[in-house]
Amino acid sequence: MRRSLWPALGRIPLYLFGLTMLVPFYWMLTAAFKPVPELTRNPPSFVPDDPTLDAFYDPGYTPEQRGEQVVAGLFQRFADVPGGFGRFMFNSLFVATTITVLSLLLASLAAYALTKIDLPGKRVIFVVIVASMMVPWQVSLIPNYLIVRNLGWLNSYEGYIVPALAKAFVVFFLVQYMRSIPDDLVHAARVDGAGEWRIWWRVVMPLMRPALAAMAIFVVLAEWNNFLWPLIIVQSDSMANLPVALSRLNASNAYNPQHFAVIMAASLLTSLPTVIVFLIFQKHFTRGIALSGIKG
Amino acid sequence: MRLRRALPGYLMLLPFAVLFVGFLVWPLLNSLYFAFTDYNGVRPPTLVGFDNFRRLWFEDERFRTALVNSFVYVAGAVTLTTGLALALAVAFRGTSWRDRIMRTLFFLPAVTSTIAVALIWRWIFTVEDFGLANTVVGWVGVEPVQWLATPSLTIPILVVMAVWGGCGYGMVIFVAGLNAIPEEHYESARLDGATAWQQFWYITLPQLKPVTTYVVITSLISAFQVFEAVYIVFRGVSSVGGVQDSGLMLVPYLYDMGFTKFQLGYASAIAWSLFIIIFIVSMIQLRVTRALREL
Repeated sequence: MRRSLWPALGRIPLYLFGLTMLVPFYWMLTAAFKPVPELTRNPPSFVPDDPTLDAFYDPGYTPEQRGEQVVAGLFQRFADVPGGFGRFMFNSLFVATTITVLSLLLASLAAYALTKIDLPGKRVIFVVIVASMMVPWQVSLIPNYLIVRNLGWLNSYEGYIVPALAKAFVVFFLVQYMRSIPDDLVHAARVDGAGEWRIWWRVVMPLMRPALAAMAIFVVLAEWNNFLWPLIIVQSDSMANLPVALSRLNASNAYNPQHFAVIMAASLLTSLPTVIVFLIFQKHFTRGIALSGIKG
Repeated sequence: MRLRRALPGYLMLLPFAVLFVGFLVWPLLNSLYFAFTDYNGVRPPTLVGFDNFRRLWFEDERFRTALVNSFVYVAGAVTLTTGLALALAVAFRGTSWRDRIMRTLFFLPAVTSTIAVALIWRWIFTVEDFGLANTVVGWVGVEPVQWLATPSLTIPILVVMAVWGGCGYGMVIFVAGLNAIPEEHYESARLDGATAWQQFWYITLPQLKPVTTYVVITSLISAFQVFEAVYIVFRGVSSVGGVQDSGLMLVPYLYDMGFTKFQLGYASAIAWSLFIIIFIVSMIQLRVTRALREL
Protein backbone atom coordinates (compact mmCIF):
# COMPACT_ATOMS: atom_id res chain seq x y z
CA MET A 1 0.00 0.00 0.00
CA ARG A 2 1.21 3.47 -0.85
CA ARG A 3 1.67 5.69 2.16
CA SER A 4 -0.49 8.77 2.10
CA LEU A 5 1.44 12.00 2.00
CA TRP A 6 -1.23 13.77 4.01
CA PRO A 7 -1.84 12.10 7.35
CA ALA A 8 -5.53 11.85 8.22
CA LEU A 9 -5.43 15.01 10.31
CA GLY A 10 -3.75 17.06 7.61
CA ARG A 11 -6.60 16.29 5.24
CA ILE A 12 -9.19 18.13 7.33
CA PRO A 13 -8.33 21.57 5.87
CA LEU A 14 -8.63 20.07 2.40
CA TYR A 15 -12.08 18.67 3.22
CA LEU A 16 -13.08 22.10 4.53
CA PHE A 17 -11.74 23.61 1.35
CA GLY A 18 -13.82 21.10 -0.60
CA LEU A 19 -16.87 22.35 1.23
CA THR A 20 -16.06 25.98 0.43
CA MET A 21 -16.03 24.94 -3.22
CA LEU A 22 -19.72 24.32 -2.77
CA VAL A 23 -20.50 27.68 -1.16
CA PRO A 24 -21.09 29.57 -4.43
CA PHE A 25 -23.46 26.82 -5.62
CA TYR A 26 -25.24 26.87 -2.28
CA TRP A 27 -25.54 30.65 -2.39
CA MET A 28 -27.13 30.46 -5.82
CA LEU A 29 -29.53 27.76 -4.63
CA THR A 30 -30.73 29.68 -1.56
CA ALA A 31 -31.12 32.94 -3.50
CA ALA A 32 -33.23 31.24 -6.15
CA PHE A 33 -35.75 30.12 -3.52
CA LYS A 34 -35.93 33.24 -1.35
CA PRO A 35 -38.84 35.68 -1.52
CA VAL A 36 -37.75 39.22 -2.39
CA PRO A 37 -37.94 40.71 1.17
CA GLU A 38 -35.77 37.92 2.52
CA LEU A 39 -33.34 38.22 -0.37
CA THR A 40 -32.43 41.80 0.54
CA ARG A 41 -32.44 41.34 4.33
CA ASN A 42 -29.39 42.21 6.40
CA PRO A 43 -27.87 40.00 7.75
CA PRO A 44 -28.75 37.43 5.08
CA SER A 45 -30.39 34.13 5.98
CA PHE A 46 -28.23 31.08 5.31
CA VAL A 47 -31.24 28.78 5.12
CA PRO A 48 -34.31 30.29 3.44
CA ASP A 49 -36.97 30.91 6.15
CA ASP A 50 -39.78 30.72 3.70
CA PRO A 51 -38.69 28.91 0.50
CA THR A 52 -40.77 29.87 -2.51
CA LEU A 53 -40.89 29.32 -6.27
CA ASP A 54 -41.72 33.00 -6.89
CA ALA A 55 -38.40 33.54 -8.68
CA PHE A 56 -39.50 31.01 -11.31
CA TYR A 57 -43.18 31.94 -11.45
CA ASP A 58 -44.86 34.41 -9.12
CA PRO A 59 -48.64 33.87 -9.12
CA GLY A 60 -49.06 37.15 -7.23
CA TYR A 61 -47.37 39.19 -9.95
CA THR A 62 -49.28 41.49 -12.28
CA PRO A 63 -47.62 44.19 -14.38
CA GLU A 64 -49.59 46.92 -12.55
CA GLN A 65 -48.44 45.63 -9.21
CA ARG A 66 -44.77 46.02 -10.03
CA GLY A 67 -43.15 47.76 -7.12
CA GLU A 68 -41.00 47.35 -4.10
CA GLN A 69 -41.42 43.71 -3.17
CA VAL A 70 -42.88 42.00 -6.21
CA VAL A 71 -40.88 41.19 -9.35
CA ALA A 72 -41.83 39.07 -12.33
CA GLY A 73 -40.80 35.42 -12.10
CA LEU A 74 -38.36 33.99 -14.63
CA PHE A 75 -41.04 32.36 -16.78
CA GLN A 76 -43.12 35.55 -16.72
CA ARG A 77 -40.36 37.56 -18.36
CA PHE A 78 -39.31 37.89 -22.03
CA ALA A 79 -42.95 38.48 -22.99
CA ASP A 80 -41.98 39.23 -26.60
CA VAL A 81 -40.35 35.80 -27.02
CA PRO A 82 -42.77 32.94 -27.78
CA GLY A 83 -42.19 30.39 -25.03
CA GLY A 84 -40.28 32.87 -22.86
CA PHE A 85 -37.39 31.37 -20.95
CA GLY A 86 -38.32 27.90 -22.23
CA ARG A 87 -37.35 29.06 -25.70
CA PHE A 88 -33.75 29.69 -24.57
CA MET A 89 -33.60 26.23 -23.04
CA PHE A 90 -34.79 24.78 -26.34
CA ASN A 91 -32.27 26.84 -28.33
CA SER A 92 -29.39 25.68 -26.14
CA LEU A 93 -30.47 22.05 -26.23
CA PHE A 94 -31.12 22.00 -29.97
CA VAL A 95 -27.88 23.73 -30.90
CA ALA A 96 -25.71 21.69 -28.52
CA THR A 97 -27.09 18.29 -29.54
CA THR A 98 -27.05 19.04 -33.28
CA ILE A 99 -23.46 20.27 -33.18
CA THR A 100 -22.41 17.27 -31.10
CA VAL A 101 -23.96 14.64 -33.37
CA LEU A 102 -22.84 16.22 -36.63
CA SER A 103 -19.34 17.22 -35.54
CA LEU A 104 -18.66 13.74 -34.16
CA LEU A 105 -19.85 12.12 -37.39
CA LEU A 106 -17.68 14.41 -39.52
CA ALA A 107 -14.68 14.03 -37.25
CA SER A 108 -14.90 10.24 -37.07
CA LEU A 109 -15.17 10.00 -40.87
CA ALA A 110 -12.13 12.23 -41.24
CA ALA A 111 -10.24 10.30 -38.56
CA TYR A 112 -11.02 7.00 -40.30
CA ALA A 113 -9.80 8.31 -43.63
CA LEU A 114 -6.63 9.64 -41.99
CA THR A 115 -5.74 6.50 -40.05
CA LYS A 116 -7.13 3.47 -41.87
CA ILE A 117 -6.83 4.43 -45.54
CA ASP A 118 -3.55 4.91 -47.32
CA LEU A 119 -4.38 8.37 -48.66
CA PRO A 120 -1.69 10.29 -50.53
CA GLY A 121 -1.15 13.60 -48.71
CA LYS A 122 -2.81 12.59 -45.48
CA ARG A 123 0.24 13.43 -43.39
CA VAL A 124 0.16 17.03 -44.57
CA ILE A 125 -3.56 17.26 -43.87
CA PHE A 126 -3.10 15.94 -40.35
CA VAL A 127 -0.25 18.37 -39.66
CA VAL A 128 -2.44 21.29 -40.78
CA ILE A 129 -5.26 20.11 -38.50
CA VAL A 130 -2.94 19.79 -35.51
CA ALA A 131 -1.24 23.11 -36.25
CA SER A 132 -4.62 24.86 -36.35
CA MET A 133 -5.17 23.83 -32.73
CA MET A 134 -2.34 26.11 -31.68
CA VAL A 135 -4.14 29.25 -32.79
CA PRO A 136 -6.64 30.64 -30.25
CA TRP A 137 -10.11 30.40 -31.75
CA GLN A 138 -10.74 34.09 -31.09
CA VAL A 139 -8.32 34.87 -33.94
CA SER A 140 -10.89 33.65 -36.47
CA LEU A 141 -13.77 35.42 -34.71
CA ILE A 142 -13.99 38.58 -36.82
CA PRO A 143 -13.72 36.95 -40.29
CA ASN A 144 -16.18 34.26 -39.22
CA TYR A 145 -18.62 36.95 -38.14
CA LEU A 146 -18.28 38.59 -41.56
CA ILE A 147 -18.70 35.26 -43.39
CA VAL A 148 -21.82 34.41 -41.41
CA ARG A 149 -23.17 37.91 -41.96
CA ASN A 150 -22.58 37.63 -45.73
CA LEU A 151 -24.32 34.25 -45.79
CA GLY A 152 -27.33 35.86 -44.09
CA TRP A 153 -26.94 33.55 -41.10
CA LEU A 154 -26.82 36.12 -38.31
CA ASN A 155 -29.52 35.42 -35.75
CA SER A 156 -30.17 31.90 -37.08
CA TYR A 157 -29.53 28.29 -36.13
CA GLU A 158 -27.26 27.91 -39.17
CA GLY A 159 -25.11 30.69 -37.74
CA TYR A 160 -24.81 28.78 -34.48
CA ILE A 161 -24.26 25.35 -35.95
CA VAL A 162 -22.39 25.35 -39.26
CA PRO A 163 -19.24 27.25 -38.20
CA ALA A 164 -18.96 25.00 -35.12
CA LEU A 165 -18.95 21.67 -36.97
CA ALA A 166 -15.29 21.31 -37.94
CA LYS A 167 -13.56 20.60 -34.66
CA ALA A 168 -9.84 19.97 -35.12
CA PHE A 169 -9.44 18.81 -31.53
CA VAL A 170 -12.04 16.06 -31.94
CA VAL A 171 -10.32 14.76 -35.09
CA PHE A 172 -6.97 14.83 -33.29
CA PHE A 173 -8.38 12.91 -30.32
CA LEU A 174 -10.21 10.34 -32.47
CA VAL A 175 -7.12 9.77 -34.63
CA GLN A 176 -5.09 9.04 -31.50
CA TYR A 177 -7.68 6.55 -30.34
CA MET A 178 -8.28 5.00 -33.76
CA ARG A 179 -4.58 4.19 -34.10
CA SER A 180 -5.03 1.70 -31.26
CA ILE A 181 -7.61 -0.25 -33.30
CA PRO A 182 -5.71 -3.05 -35.12
CA ASP A 183 -5.45 -2.57 -38.88
CA ASP A 184 -5.96 -6.33 -39.26
CA LEU A 185 -9.63 -5.90 -38.42
CA VAL A 186 -10.00 -3.44 -41.27
CA HIS A 187 -8.01 -5.65 -43.65
CA ALA A 188 -10.12 -8.67 -42.76
CA ALA A 189 -13.30 -6.72 -43.50
CA ARG A 190 -11.84 -5.60 -46.83
CA VAL A 191 -11.00 -9.19 -47.73
CA ASP A 192 -14.62 -10.05 -46.98
CA GLY A 193 -15.58 -7.45 -49.58
CA ALA A 194 -16.86 -4.69 -47.28
CA GLY A 195 -16.59 -1.13 -48.61
CA GLU A 196 -14.85 1.64 -46.70
CA TRP A 197 -18.11 3.32 -45.56
CA ARG A 198 -19.39 0.03 -44.26
CA ILE A 199 -16.16 -0.73 -42.41
CA TRP A 200 -16.21 2.73 -40.85
CA TRP A 201 -19.77 2.36 -39.59
CA ARG A 202 -19.91 -1.35 -38.76
CA VAL A 203 -16.40 -2.26 -37.67
CA VAL A 204 -14.61 0.84 -36.43
CA MET A 205 -17.39 3.01 -34.95
CA PRO A 206 -18.56 0.37 -32.44
CA LEU A 207 -14.98 0.03 -31.19
CA MET A 208 -14.70 3.80 -30.88
CA ARG A 209 -17.52 4.06 -28.37
CA PRO A 210 -15.45 5.13 -25.32
CA ALA A 211 -13.64 7.82 -27.31
CA LEU A 212 -16.88 9.02 -28.93
CA ALA A 213 -18.60 9.16 -25.53
CA ALA A 214 -15.77 11.23 -24.05
CA MET A 215 -15.83 13.63 -27.00
CA ALA A 216 -19.64 13.84 -27.03
CA ILE A 217 -19.71 14.98 -23.41
CA PHE A 218 -16.85 17.36 -24.06
CA VAL A 219 -18.58 18.97 -27.08
CA VAL A 220 -22.04 19.08 -25.50
CA LEU A 221 -20.72 20.91 -22.43
CA ALA A 222 -18.64 23.34 -24.48
CA GLU A 223 -21.56 24.18 -26.77
CA TRP A 224 -24.11 24.43 -23.96
CA ASN A 225 -21.86 26.93 -22.21
CA ASN A 226 -20.75 28.77 -25.36
CA PHE A 227 -21.10 32.52 -25.00
CA LEU A 228 -18.87 34.78 -27.10
CA TRP A 229 -19.94 33.48 -30.52
CA PRO A 230 -23.70 33.54 -29.73
CA LEU A 231 -23.25 36.98 -28.14
CA ILE A 232 -21.99 38.25 -31.49
CA ILE A 233 -24.43 36.57 -33.88
CA VAL A 234 -27.65 36.78 -31.85
CA GLN A 235 -29.69 39.89 -32.54
CA SER A 236 -33.23 39.19 -31.30
CA ASP A 237 -34.06 37.76 -27.87
CA SER A 238 -35.80 34.77 -29.43
CA MET A 239 -32.53 33.35 -30.86
CA ALA A 240 -30.54 33.64 -27.61
CA ASN A 241 -29.12 30.55 -25.99
CA LEU A 242 -29.11 30.26 -22.20
CA PRO A 243 -25.79 32.04 -21.55
CA VAL A 244 -26.77 34.98 -23.78
CA ALA A 245 -30.22 35.13 -22.15
CA LEU A 246 -28.54 35.15 -18.72
CA SER A 247 -26.26 37.95 -19.80
CA ARG A 248 -29.23 40.00 -21.06
CA LEU A 249 -31.18 39.32 -17.88
CA ASN A 250 -28.16 40.55 -15.92
CA ALA A 251 -27.61 43.62 -18.09
CA SER A 252 -31.17 44.86 -17.61
CA ASN A 253 -31.44 44.14 -13.87
CA ALA A 254 -27.98 44.00 -12.33
CA TYR A 255 -28.22 47.24 -10.39
CA ASN A 256 -31.35 46.20 -8.57
CA PRO A 257 -30.66 43.42 -6.04
CA GLN A 258 -34.36 42.50 -5.93
CA HIS A 259 -33.96 40.82 -9.29
CA PHE A 260 -31.18 38.53 -8.17
CA ALA A 261 -33.53 35.74 -7.08
CA VAL A 262 -34.66 35.54 -10.70
CA ILE A 263 -31.10 35.79 -12.04
CA MET A 264 -30.01 33.00 -9.70
CA ALA A 265 -33.03 30.90 -10.71
CA ALA A 266 -31.98 31.31 -14.35
CA SER A 267 -28.37 30.43 -13.47
CA LEU A 268 -29.62 27.34 -11.67
CA LEU A 269 -31.64 26.17 -14.68
CA THR A 270 -28.62 26.80 -16.92
CA SER A 271 -26.11 24.89 -14.81
CA LEU A 272 -28.28 22.02 -13.60
CA PRO A 273 -28.45 20.09 -16.92
CA THR A 274 -24.68 20.03 -17.42
CA VAL A 275 -24.08 19.09 -13.80
CA ILE A 276 -26.52 16.18 -14.17
CA VAL A 277 -24.96 15.06 -17.46
CA PHE A 278 -21.54 15.22 -15.84
CA LEU A 279 -22.63 13.22 -12.79
CA ILE A 280 -24.11 10.49 -15.00
CA PHE A 281 -21.20 10.24 -17.44
CA GLN A 282 -18.44 11.24 -15.05
CA LYS A 283 -16.30 8.20 -15.78
CA HIS A 284 -16.20 8.80 -19.55
CA PHE A 285 -15.52 12.43 -19.00
CA THR A 286 -12.59 12.22 -16.61
CA ARG A 287 -11.12 9.39 -18.68
CA GLY A 288 -11.35 11.58 -21.77
CA ILE A 289 -9.56 14.45 -20.03
CA ALA A 290 -6.91 12.17 -18.67
CA LEU A 291 -6.35 10.58 -22.09
CA SER A 292 -6.07 13.89 -23.90
CA GLY A 293 -3.87 15.21 -21.10
CA ILE A 294 -1.43 12.33 -20.98
CA LYS A 295 -1.13 11.86 -24.71
CA GLY A 296 -1.36 15.52 -25.68
CA MET B 1 -6.09 -1.29 -55.17
CA ARG B 2 -4.75 1.70 -53.36
CA LEU B 3 -6.51 4.18 -55.62
CA ARG B 4 -9.79 2.32 -55.37
CA ARG B 5 -9.79 3.05 -51.65
CA ALA B 6 -8.47 6.58 -52.07
CA LEU B 7 -11.72 7.81 -53.61
CA PRO B 8 -13.99 6.89 -50.67
CA GLY B 9 -11.19 8.10 -48.42
CA TYR B 10 -11.22 11.60 -49.87
CA LEU B 11 -15.01 11.58 -49.86
CA MET B 12 -14.98 10.77 -46.17
CA LEU B 13 -12.55 13.57 -45.51
CA LEU B 14 -14.45 16.04 -47.67
CA PRO B 15 -17.28 17.29 -45.37
CA PHE B 16 -14.86 17.96 -42.54
CA ALA B 17 -12.29 19.48 -44.85
CA VAL B 18 -14.77 21.86 -46.49
CA LEU B 19 -15.99 23.20 -43.14
CA PHE B 20 -12.47 23.24 -41.70
CA VAL B 21 -11.18 25.33 -44.58
CA GLY B 22 -14.31 27.50 -44.83
CA PHE B 23 -14.68 28.34 -41.15
CA LEU B 24 -11.15 28.04 -39.83
CA VAL B 25 -8.30 28.15 -42.36
CA TRP B 26 -9.85 30.80 -44.61
CA PRO B 27 -10.94 33.00 -41.65
CA LEU B 28 -7.45 32.74 -40.17
CA LEU B 29 -5.87 33.90 -43.43
CA ASN B 30 -8.45 36.69 -43.64
CA SER B 31 -7.76 37.75 -40.10
CA LEU B 32 -4.05 37.88 -40.85
CA TYR B 33 -4.79 40.12 -43.85
CA PHE B 34 -7.15 42.37 -41.85
CA ALA B 35 -4.46 42.86 -39.21
CA PHE B 36 -2.46 44.78 -41.80
CA THR B 37 -5.38 46.91 -43.00
CA ASP B 38 -7.57 49.72 -41.68
CA TYR B 39 -10.75 47.66 -42.22
CA ASN B 40 -13.81 49.02 -40.38
CA GLY B 41 -16.50 46.75 -41.82
CA VAL B 42 -17.85 49.42 -44.16
CA ARG B 43 -15.08 50.82 -46.35
CA PRO B 44 -13.07 48.22 -48.30
CA PRO B 45 -9.82 47.47 -46.45
CA THR B 46 -6.62 49.30 -47.40
CA LEU B 47 -3.21 47.90 -46.52
CA VAL B 48 -1.45 49.94 -43.85
CA GLY B 49 1.61 47.76 -43.23
CA PHE B 50 2.58 47.31 -39.61
CA ASP B 51 0.66 50.42 -38.53
CA ASN B 52 -1.86 48.55 -36.38
CA PHE B 53 0.85 46.63 -34.56
CA ARG B 54 2.98 49.74 -34.08
CA ARG B 55 0.06 51.70 -32.63
CA LEU B 56 -1.00 48.73 -30.53
CA TRP B 57 2.38 47.91 -29.04
CA PHE B 58 3.90 51.39 -28.71
CA GLU B 59 1.12 53.96 -28.45
CA ASP B 60 -2.08 52.39 -27.16
CA GLU B 61 -2.46 53.01 -23.42
CA ARG B 62 -5.51 50.74 -23.14
CA PHE B 63 -3.65 47.86 -24.78
CA ARG B 64 -0.83 48.33 -22.30
CA THR B 65 -3.39 48.17 -19.48
CA ALA B 66 -4.88 45.05 -20.99
CA LEU B 67 -1.42 43.45 -21.29
CA VAL B 68 -0.37 44.26 -17.73
CA ASN B 69 -3.72 43.08 -16.36
CA SER B 70 -3.50 39.87 -18.40
CA PHE B 71 0.02 39.04 -17.20
CA VAL B 72 -0.78 39.74 -13.54
CA TYR B 73 -3.98 37.73 -13.81
CA VAL B 74 -2.33 34.83 -15.65
CA ALA B 75 0.59 34.68 -13.21
CA GLY B 76 -1.74 34.59 -10.21
CA ALA B 77 -4.34 32.28 -11.70
CA VAL B 78 -1.90 29.74 -13.17
CA THR B 79 0.38 29.44 -10.13
CA LEU B 80 -2.44 29.11 -7.64
CA THR B 81 -4.53 26.80 -9.82
CA THR B 82 -1.62 24.46 -10.57
CA GLY B 83 -0.38 24.35 -6.98
CA LEU B 84 -3.82 23.72 -5.59
CA ALA B 85 -4.64 21.16 -8.28
CA LEU B 86 -1.49 19.21 -7.37
CA ALA B 87 -2.22 19.35 -3.63
CA LEU B 88 -5.78 18.17 -4.22
CA ALA B 89 -4.64 15.40 -6.55
CA VAL B 90 -2.15 14.09 -3.99
CA ALA B 91 -4.75 14.26 -1.24
CA PHE B 92 -7.74 12.83 -3.12
CA ARG B 93 -6.20 10.45 -5.65
CA GLY B 94 -7.57 7.29 -4.08
CA THR B 95 -10.46 5.06 -5.08
CA SER B 96 -12.39 5.30 -1.81
CA TRP B 97 -15.87 6.82 -1.98
CA ARG B 98 -14.67 9.79 0.07
CA ASP B 99 -11.95 10.63 -2.43
CA ARG B 100 -14.28 10.16 -5.35
CA ILE B 101 -16.91 12.49 -3.87
CA MET B 102 -14.28 15.13 -3.19
CA ARG B 103 -12.96 14.88 -6.76
CA THR B 104 -16.49 15.28 -8.09
CA LEU B 105 -17.04 18.37 -5.94
CA PHE B 106 -13.83 20.00 -7.13
CA PHE B 107 -14.67 19.25 -10.73
CA LEU B 108 -18.23 20.64 -10.68
CA PRO B 109 -17.23 24.27 -11.47
CA ALA B 110 -15.52 23.06 -14.66
CA VAL B 111 -18.81 21.78 -16.09
CA THR B 112 -20.95 24.71 -14.95
CA SER B 113 -21.77 27.50 -17.38
CA THR B 114 -19.17 30.24 -16.97
CA ILE B 115 -21.91 32.84 -17.30
CA ALA B 116 -23.97 31.29 -14.49
CA VAL B 117 -20.83 31.07 -12.36
CA ALA B 118 -19.92 34.70 -13.09
CA LEU B 119 -23.42 35.78 -12.06
CA ILE B 120 -23.09 33.86 -8.79
CA TRP B 121 -19.84 35.69 -8.05
CA ARG B 122 -21.50 38.94 -8.93
CA TRP B 123 -24.17 38.18 -6.37
CA ILE B 124 -21.59 37.13 -3.75
CA PHE B 125 -19.53 40.30 -4.25
CA THR B 126 -22.50 42.68 -4.45
CA VAL B 127 -21.88 46.11 -2.91
CA GLU B 128 -24.91 45.70 -0.64
CA ASP B 129 -24.32 45.04 3.06
CA PHE B 130 -26.23 41.76 2.80
CA GLY B 131 -23.90 40.34 0.14
CA LEU B 132 -22.12 37.15 1.17
CA ALA B 133 -18.61 38.64 0.88
CA ASN B 134 -19.59 41.69 2.93
CA THR B 135 -21.31 39.52 5.53
CA VAL B 136 -18.20 37.37 5.91
CA VAL B 137 -15.81 40.33 6.26
CA GLY B 138 -18.38 41.83 8.67
CA TRP B 139 -17.84 38.86 11.02
CA VAL B 140 -14.27 40.03 11.59
CA GLY B 141 -15.36 43.64 12.01
CA VAL B 142 -14.51 45.00 8.56
CA GLU B 143 -16.77 47.65 7.07
CA PRO B 144 -18.67 46.67 3.88
CA VAL B 145 -16.40 46.80 0.83
CA GLN B 146 -17.31 48.08 -2.64
CA TRP B 147 -15.91 44.87 -4.12
CA LEU B 148 -16.72 45.30 -7.78
CA ALA B 149 -16.17 49.06 -7.83
CA THR B 150 -12.67 49.02 -6.32
CA PRO B 151 -10.04 48.84 -9.11
CA SER B 152 -7.37 47.23 -6.90
CA LEU B 153 -9.70 44.33 -6.09
CA THR B 154 -10.65 43.52 -9.67
CA ILE B 155 -7.75 41.21 -10.56
CA PRO B 156 -7.74 39.43 -7.16
CA ILE B 157 -11.45 38.68 -7.54
CA LEU B 158 -10.89 37.38 -11.07
CA VAL B 159 -8.04 35.19 -9.79
CA VAL B 160 -10.27 33.75 -7.06
CA MET B 161 -12.86 32.96 -9.72
CA ALA B 162 -10.25 31.34 -11.95
CA VAL B 163 -8.80 29.19 -9.18
CA TRP B 164 -12.24 28.09 -8.00
CA GLY B 165 -13.22 27.27 -11.56
CA GLY B 166 -9.98 25.67 -12.73
CA CYS B 167 -8.38 23.63 -9.95
CA GLY B 168 -10.67 20.62 -10.48
CA TYR B 169 -9.63 20.25 -14.11
CA GLY B 170 -5.94 20.31 -13.25
CA MET B 171 -6.58 17.89 -10.40
CA VAL B 172 -8.07 15.27 -12.73
CA ILE B 173 -5.01 15.40 -14.97
CA PHE B 174 -2.64 15.24 -12.00
CA VAL B 175 -4.52 12.22 -10.60
CA ALA B 176 -4.02 10.42 -13.92
CA GLY B 177 -0.35 11.41 -13.86
CA LEU B 178 0.10 10.20 -10.28
CA ASN B 179 -1.49 6.86 -11.07
CA ALA B 180 0.93 6.38 -13.96
CA ILE B 181 3.98 6.51 -11.65
CA PRO B 182 5.25 2.93 -11.14
CA GLU B 183 4.71 1.72 -7.58
CA GLU B 184 8.23 0.18 -7.48
CA HIS B 185 9.79 3.65 -7.26
CA TYR B 186 8.02 4.22 -3.97
CA GLU B 187 8.75 0.74 -2.66
CA SER B 188 12.49 1.02 -3.14
CA ALA B 189 12.44 4.53 -1.66
CA ARG B 190 10.68 3.24 1.42
CA LEU B 191 13.20 0.44 1.78
CA ASP B 192 15.85 3.16 1.84
CA GLY B 193 13.89 4.86 4.62
CA ALA B 194 12.64 7.90 2.67
CA THR B 195 9.99 9.98 4.42
CA ALA B 196 6.70 10.88 2.76
CA TRP B 197 8.00 14.36 1.95
CA GLN B 198 11.21 12.98 0.50
CA GLN B 199 9.22 10.58 -1.66
CA PHE B 200 7.09 13.46 -2.87
CA TRP B 201 10.09 15.65 -3.56
CA TYR B 202 12.40 13.10 -5.21
CA ILE B 203 9.93 10.77 -6.92
CA THR B 204 6.48 12.29 -7.38
CA LEU B 205 7.50 15.78 -8.53
CA PRO B 206 10.18 14.72 -11.07
CA GLN B 207 7.91 12.01 -12.48
CA LEU B 208 5.07 14.52 -12.81
CA LYS B 209 7.07 17.04 -14.83
CA PRO B 210 5.45 16.34 -18.23
CA VAL B 211 1.99 16.37 -16.68
CA THR B 212 2.75 19.60 -14.84
CA THR B 213 3.92 21.20 -18.07
CA TYR B 214 0.67 20.18 -19.72
CA VAL B 215 -1.45 21.57 -16.87
CA VAL B 216 0.51 24.82 -16.76
CA ILE B 217 0.34 25.36 -20.52
CA THR B 218 -3.38 24.56 -20.81
CA SER B 219 -4.20 26.87 -17.91
CA LEU B 220 -1.93 29.57 -19.35
CA ILE B 221 -3.76 29.38 -22.64
CA SER B 222 -7.21 29.50 -21.09
CA ALA B 223 -6.22 32.29 -18.67
CA PHE B 224 -4.97 34.49 -21.52
CA GLN B 225 -8.33 33.95 -23.23
CA VAL B 226 -10.49 34.99 -20.27
CA PHE B 227 -13.57 36.90 -21.38
CA GLU B 228 -16.84 35.85 -19.74
CA ALA B 229 -15.83 36.67 -16.16
CA VAL B 230 -14.74 40.18 -17.10
CA TYR B 231 -17.73 40.78 -19.34
CA ILE B 232 -20.36 39.63 -16.84
CA VAL B 233 -18.89 40.70 -13.51
CA PHE B 234 -17.07 43.94 -14.33
CA ARG B 235 -18.49 45.41 -17.50
CA GLY B 236 -19.66 48.94 -16.83
CA VAL B 237 -22.15 51.03 -18.75
CA SER B 238 -19.49 52.61 -20.96
CA SER B 239 -16.56 50.21 -20.89
CA VAL B 240 -16.10 46.47 -21.14
CA GLY B 241 -13.12 46.51 -18.77
CA GLY B 242 -14.72 47.57 -15.50
CA VAL B 243 -13.90 50.60 -13.35
CA GLN B 244 -10.88 52.44 -14.83
CA ASP B 245 -10.29 49.44 -17.11
CA SER B 246 -9.05 47.55 -14.05
CA GLY B 247 -10.33 44.30 -15.54
CA LEU B 248 -9.49 45.00 -19.17
CA MET B 249 -7.69 42.04 -20.70
CA LEU B 250 -6.82 40.85 -24.19
CA VAL B 251 -10.05 39.19 -25.34
CA PRO B 252 -12.36 41.80 -23.74
CA TYR B 253 -10.29 44.48 -25.51
CA LEU B 254 -10.54 42.52 -28.77
CA TYR B 255 -14.32 42.34 -28.31
CA ASP B 256 -14.51 46.04 -27.50
CA MET B 257 -12.49 47.12 -30.54
CA GLY B 258 -14.09 44.62 -32.91
CA PHE B 259 -17.72 44.55 -31.94
CA THR B 260 -18.50 47.82 -30.20
CA LYS B 261 -16.13 50.14 -32.09
CA PHE B 262 -15.99 48.09 -35.32
CA GLN B 263 -12.27 48.69 -35.88
CA LEU B 264 -11.96 45.25 -37.43
CA GLY B 265 -8.40 45.71 -38.73
CA TYR B 266 -7.13 46.93 -35.40
CA ALA B 267 -9.03 44.20 -33.53
CA SER B 268 -7.46 41.57 -35.81
CA ALA B 269 -4.05 42.90 -34.82
CA ILE B 270 -5.08 42.38 -31.17
CA ALA B 271 -6.16 38.82 -32.03
CA TRP B 272 -2.79 37.97 -33.60
CA SER B 273 -1.00 39.62 -30.70
CA LEU B 274 -2.93 37.26 -28.43
CA PHE B 275 -1.67 34.33 -30.51
CA ILE B 276 1.93 35.61 -30.44
CA ILE B 277 1.85 36.12 -26.68
CA ILE B 278 0.37 32.67 -25.98
CA PHE B 279 2.82 31.08 -28.40
CA ILE B 280 5.90 32.76 -26.89
CA VAL B 281 4.84 32.11 -23.31
CA SER B 282 4.14 28.43 -24.03
CA MET B 283 7.50 28.07 -25.80
CA ILE B 284 9.34 29.65 -22.86
CA GLN B 285 7.48 27.34 -20.50
CA LEU B 286 8.45 24.29 -22.60
CA ARG B 287 12.10 25.38 -22.79
CA VAL B 288 12.27 25.99 -19.05
CA THR B 289 10.81 22.58 -18.32
CA ARG B 290 13.22 20.90 -20.72
CA ALA B 291 16.15 22.76 -19.18
CA LEU B 292 15.03 21.72 -15.71
CA ARG B 293 14.74 18.11 -16.80
CA GLU B 294 18.30 18.11 -18.07
CA LEU B 295 19.69 19.45 -14.81
